[in-house]
Amino acid sequence: MTDERSQNSDPSSSDDELLTSALRTPAMSQEAMERVRATVEREWRAATSVDATAGKARTVLPSRVRWFAVAAAAVVAVVGVTTWVSRPPVQTAPVGSISRADEGALSVLSARLTRRNLSQGGELRVGDRVTAEGPVLVALARGGTLRISARSELAIISPRQISLEHGLIYLDIPSGTGGASPLRVVTKAGAVEHVGTEFEVMSDDEAVRVRVREGRVRFIGRTNTVVADAGTELLAAPGKSIVQRPIDTYGRDWLWTAALAPDYEIEGSSLIGFLRWVSRELGRPLNFADPNARQIADRTILHGSVRHQTPIDAMSNVLATTSLTYEIRGDAIWVRSGTSAAL
Amino acid sequence: MYEADRALVARMRAGDQRAFDEFFKDSAPRLVAFIARRTALDPATLEDIVQSALIKAVRHLASYRGEAALFTWLTEICRNELADEHRKAKRRPAHLSLDEPEAARRWEEMLRAPDDQEPAAQLQAATERAEIMKVLDSLPENYALVLEAKYGDGLSVETIALQWGLTEIAVQSMLARAREAFRQRWQKGSAT
Repeated sequence: MTDERSQNSDPSSSDDELLTSALRTPAMSQEAMERVRATVEREWRAATSVDATAGKARTVLPSRVRWFAVAAAAVVAVVGVTTWVSRPPVQTAPVGSISRADEGALSVLSARLTRRNLSQGGELRVGDRVTAEGPVLVALARGGTLRISARSELAIISPRQISLEHGLIYLDIPSGTGGASPLRVVTKAGAVEHVGTEFEVMSDDEAVRVRVREGRVRFIGRTNTVVADAGTELLAAPGKSIVQRPIDTYGRDWLWTAALAPDYEIEGSSLIGFLRWVSRELGRPLNFADPNARQIADRTILHGSVRHQTPIDAMSNVLATTSLTYEIRGDAIWVRSGTSAAL
Repeated sequence: MYEADRALVARMRAGDQRAFDEFFKDSAPRLVAFIARRTALDPATLEDIVQSALIKAVRHLASYRGEAALFTWLTEICRNELADEHRKAKRRPAHLSLDEPEAARRWEEMLRAPDDQEPAAQLQAATERAEIMKVLDSLPENYALVLEAKYGDGLSVETIALQWGLTEIAVQSMLARAREAFRQRWQKGSAT
């Protein structure tokens, strides 16, 4: 070779320059790095959740394939193709079934490290780690519903315990359902237990936010426990005191839960029962503007279906077939008969 | 030695999110650079290899004993991934059909060079880098890694000392020996 290696009068300086210019490389794009991070983090979570007992070889498709593929769901299905699949399945206890989810919106890593996509009718089981890419409605086996917002991850620890890794969920456990023991949602900042209620939990790496819509919840933080009633928001972060503030139980912040409300089967049910359901889903008290309206609601039996309709749309459509009308005024729903004066 | 690395791995195994964040932030960009210096892989394949290596690492954290620096352990995993990729590449067809849309797109990407990158200059730089890497890989592993950490990754002596569980003086001393070893081999190479 006839290059000019180390011909500089200061060998140390020329070596430094040579090494620096040769060894500095362009960084990977931020987008690519984020893809890698998301995939590795998911694997890390799975590996740490099952520890060494299940950390066997699995096949993960390259991130560029996974992210560039049109059908991510198909990729997720491939991930689980391992020797584990050939083993006899061990069924853990079901905790609920999927009532609503878009195709490919929900992927589940089971306790046996097999990955599957769930759609309507699919079962969630103890040990499942759930990744929701879109909104998901789950009918809980113990009664009530679990609504999962897009981009949330959670793990089913037991029939009575959910670990929210990050994201946003909403639990609706009506009084009288769910057995004696409360359902518990565990987050990095503490645990939330319901006492017959509707509540929302949002968690990320830094903090947890709990919003109580109905009933009462108990928040068990690292240093203290707080009981919060309906219309209260709790903010907690590890090592910090828990902050409480009053909130509305209706309005914009709750629209996502209404959009995921379970279908109400109106066939053969009373109008008053239906209106109470709408009232609960919207977080707004139900009022009747006149006695006649209340009587009509009590005695009217509904027929047909309002499936796949949001509560407010369903109410509009149902009342359109009666002599009643409604208006949302302030925080409440007001229903009136055609004969009463305008509100 | 490597107490900090052992502690970090222990925290990761316990599910500590901050430990994972620290691990990824410190390791991933360095692994990318580690591979980029040794190969001429396209960005997509590079991404795949880094991802595979890190996935293997997080799945087998229990096998990290703290006998070497965590990054050294990662580079070993990475070398295995590179060897696998090399074997796969040898089995792939040497020609791409332009009838395939994906292949045509890849060709287009390969042929489209940014205006500010002169092919001749790139070739010269790549050749020099390959020669330097050849020399580095012939050095004791710690020497190569400390030179890469200092000059490639731009880490300070203090940071290297922290990561390797050494005193700053020990790192400075190792760097001096590594530079000297590099200079001797480099000059020996230029004389041949």
